[in-house]
Amino acid sequence: MTVITLTRGGTADAAGAPPPRRRRGLRVRVALARIGGGLAVLVPIVFLSSFITYCLGALSNSNPAATILGQDAATPAAVARLDQALGLDQSLIVQYWNWLVQALHGNLGRSYFTQIPVSQSISQRLPVDLSIAILAVILAIVIGGTAGTVAAIRRGGWFDRGVTAVCSVVSTLPAFVVGIILVVLFAVSVHAFPANGYVGPSAGTGPWLSHIFLPSLALSLQVASDIARQLRTSLVQVLDQNYITGAKVRGLPYRRILVRHALRNAAGPALVTLGYDFPQMLAGAVAAEAVFSLPGLGQLLLESAETRDIPVVQGLLLVISTFVIVVNLVINTTLNWLYRTDDGMSA
Amino acid sequence: MSGRRPVIGPGSILRLPSARIAVGVLAVIAILAAFGSTLAPQNPLAINANALFQGPSAHHLLGTDYLGRDVLSRLMAGTRLSVLTALEAVGIGLVLGAIPGIATVFMGRSFDFTANRVSDALMTFPSIFFVVAVTAALGNGLVQAMIPVGILLAPAFFRVTRAATLEHARAQYVEAAELLGASKLHVIRVHVLRKVLPNIMVTTAAMTAAALLTVSFLTFLGIGVQPPTPTWGGILSSDLDYLSQAPWAPFIPGALIAVTVGALNALADAVRDRSGAGTLVASPILPTDLSLELADGDRQSRSIA
Amino acid sequence: MAIDNRDPLPDLAPVGTGPRSGEVLRLDDLHISVHGGAATAVRGVSLQVRPGEIVGLVGESGSGKTLTCRATLGVLPPGCAVESGLVSFGGVDVTSLSRRGWERLHGSQMGAVFQDPASYLNPAIAVGPQLTEVVRVKLGLGRRAAHRRALELFEAVGLRQPERVFRQIPAELSGGMLQRVMIAIAISCDPQLLVADEPTTALDVTIQAEVLELLQRLRDERGLAVLLVSHDLAVITQLCDRIAVFYAGEIVESGPAEEITRRPRHPYTQALLRVASVGDFRRRELEVIAGQPPRAGEDITGCRFAARCPVAVPECEAGPVRPVPVGERHEARCVLAARAMVAS
Repeated sequence: MTVITLTRGGTADAAGAPPPRRRRGLRVRVALARIGGGLAVLVPIVFLSSFITYCLGALSNSNPAATILGQDAATPAAVARLDQALGLDQSLIVQYWNWLVQALHGNLGRSYFTQIPVSQSISQRLPVDLSIAILAVILAIVIGGTAGTVAAIRRGGWFDRGVTAVCSVVSTLPAFVVGIILVVLFAVSVHAFPANGYVGPSAGTGPWLSHIFLPSLALSLQVASDIARQLRTSLVQVLDQNYITGAKVRGLPYRRILVRHALRNAAGPALVTLGYDFPQMLAGAVAAEAVFSLPGLGQLLLESAETRDIPVVQGLLLVISTFVIVVNLVINTTLNWLYRTDDGMSA
Repeated sequence: MSGRRPVIGPGSILRLPSARIAVGVLAVIAILAAFGSTLAPQNPLAINANALFQGPSAHHLLGTDYLGRDVLSRLMAGTRLSVLTALEAVGIGLVLGAIPGIATVFMGRSFDFTANRVSDALMTFPSIFFVVAVTAALGNGLVQAMIPVGILLAPAFFRVTRAATLEHARAQYVEAAELLGASKLHVIRVHVLRKVLPNIMVTTAAMTAAALLTVSFLTFLGIGVQPPTPTWGGILSSDLDYLSQAPWAPFIPGALIAVTVGALNALADAVRDRSGAGTLVASPILPTDLSLELADGDRQSRSIA
Repeated sequence: MAIDNRDPLPDLAPVGTGPRSGEVLRLDDLHISVHGGAATAVRGVSLQVRPGEIVGLVGESGSGKTLTCRATLGVLPPGCAVESGLVSFGGVDVTSLSRRGWERLHGSQMGAVFQDPASYLNPAIAVGPQLTEVVRVKLGLGRRAAHRRALELFEAVGLRQPERVFRQIPAELSGGMLQRVMIAIAISCDPQLLVADEPTTALDVTIQAEVLELLQRLRDERGLAVLLVSHDLAVITQLCDRIAVFYAGEIVESGPAEEITRRPRHPYTQALLRVASVGDFRRRELEVIAGQPPRAGEDITGCRFAARCPVAVPECEAGPVRPVPVGERHEARCVLAARAMVAS
């Protein structure tokens, strides 16, 4: 895994004059331009992915109308009527456009088979994935951050070497394998946590947490290991810097130096790592759902793909792509803001 | 400039002990992929209702599964499908990524800009969703399923080859060659390609590992293969179903996956070590004064333009 | 003995009160080892700094002056340790001070500035908050009071637009301004001693003069004692009241600045003054001292300068050479200087 270091950028020029600062209004405009630029590139990707799915649906040989009607009732006339009702007789572009317009209004169509609105299916299952994802991020930051920090402070010691070894092992294990191992260790051998199933927070915080803890942990370990390695490297570098000595000779307490100077500067690359890993966590969420039998979006996707329930697949893909893109945008904007120099440009 | 000898040779890599072990492991895997079914001691599909969930024995070196089938044989037979489809995805990714990656240096700013943005966008997308969508459309086959995986691996190759090409294409001897009248294609073929090759090799090894994990995941989810065809992920999946009867079972295919992936990563590290190349698998938008440092933090850092 | 962190907090005089008499800093026969104890880089260093005194340590790179300076601050690099001897601050033995002890001492009793000020400040934070942080933590000042104090200090060190500088990050300030900021931070809690390790080496000559003048002013106005380390003899002679000349890990001569420049007693000091042509601008030839200083930690019997000394005699290499008084608070570690004193 590649690890990122920070170098000091942007020095004042040799003559001693500091570089000129742009006016505040211009800075804001520059920032907005960057976000706009990011959007301008990524939004087409959303459209592209949804369009591709649409095409894929068209490419598939199955005729949805026939599938819905079932083998017996699928007379040509009945099929033709249903086609017209479903709008399947129009050209691909038109169909796509209609679908997109509807989607922007929040209407993602209905499942071919159950007639349940897609948006409803999605919103029902969303809390499951959200719970796991959020808890996983928290766990990743806590576990990875602590491990990386302690490893850096006691560099070369047994903890440091242990963390490196564990991280190497974890990076070879896919999330679902980790999940299975956790199930074996904590659910089957020792009945500390349930092996599967999900209960919402409405059933009580305790049961809810106990059901999402193992899946979240499975999801978080890969990211935690990446964060730990990255943080350790960055922190070791930062602790070697002169300004840490400078802070020491000013008489600042050790803990304060560690948190407010060292960690603050070293955390950046670790956050970059988190941001980079986060979309992969979504894939891992599918794994967690599979291992722990959770009724989430991943399961919905798999089921509807199996039955060729195209509207559901398309709706899901649209939602997921949008989500990934929004998350990426937020993360990149945050990183740009963190690493800005004072004239608003991202270094 | 130097002659036509390769920038890095097999001999230098094999000096590292970790690389030797890695190559050994991968050689075993490769043999299994090619000849697994024939080498297996038992018939991987043979059901034996009298021998369910047995532990390791002389007859069944790794025990039996929920249908009494020999686990070792199933694993050996399953190697082929997992490995070949992983290689398929990597192949697609390599072609789709490395060629634009090299070309982009010579093709002008707008091409470069577009290619970069597309690569950024694709890179962060988790492949599983696309794969499932593809199977919904094109049918439930593993071969089809790995195409989107391959497409999503392309950005990694793109970034690496682009960075490496940038580094080498601006060398003075390239300028000199162009001044002497060599065409861009000739310059690429003769000078740049050799230097970029180590980077591509490192990325190939690393991406093969990633593809293998993805294949295992897909087969675990039941995508792409029908039972009783054995695959590493599929075996894990059935192990999960019968966890209470055989809690030790999933560790075996899990270990196999881990060891193979570990070997690939070790190989990637060894090549990187020897050639000084680095894989760039970093976040799309980086401030320009971040420099990339190689994995264990002790080597030289280089900055990306 | 290496620095031990287990000792209880010594009873230090609180900031701003207590008599400012007696020595601020005292080093007694200090030995510092490097490379994890493999070699002794600093041998038998003794010096005192009195309140309001500016003491300069001068010598070539590797002469041990920086290590000595770091030892007084308690920030020796990894692998280096005080082998033996005494470091005492304000009459209190701090040789084996714990980390907590140093935290109390730093900032409030002693401040430090270094050669490359930009690297000693957090590049990601504006300089103003880095100062207010210190006074808020160490003096307990509130936000407004700390801000005011920061502006006062910036003005006191000669920064022309304190409010503007407050908000700027180190990358936006020039070397001279940054060094003033560092000095401001170092004196923010009114310490008794300022340790300055090559403070002007990285600065332009004109800025250099301003910074030195600032240090002098601080001494005059606040009674600040300064321990100044530099390889630049001109800087040292311009500013310091007393000078200690380092060679190969030892102090070869120490005494009042004026006397040392006028009548240096140690051959090395004499050579140094010639080479630096302090006071003589009409010299035409480049003078060098032939030979190389000994490697750090090299064991040499007798005078460590003897190999290069133009007036060495066999007695110089016979045995260890102790510093002998050659004037009013003026010592030299030279066999010939000792003979001259005996003869007179």
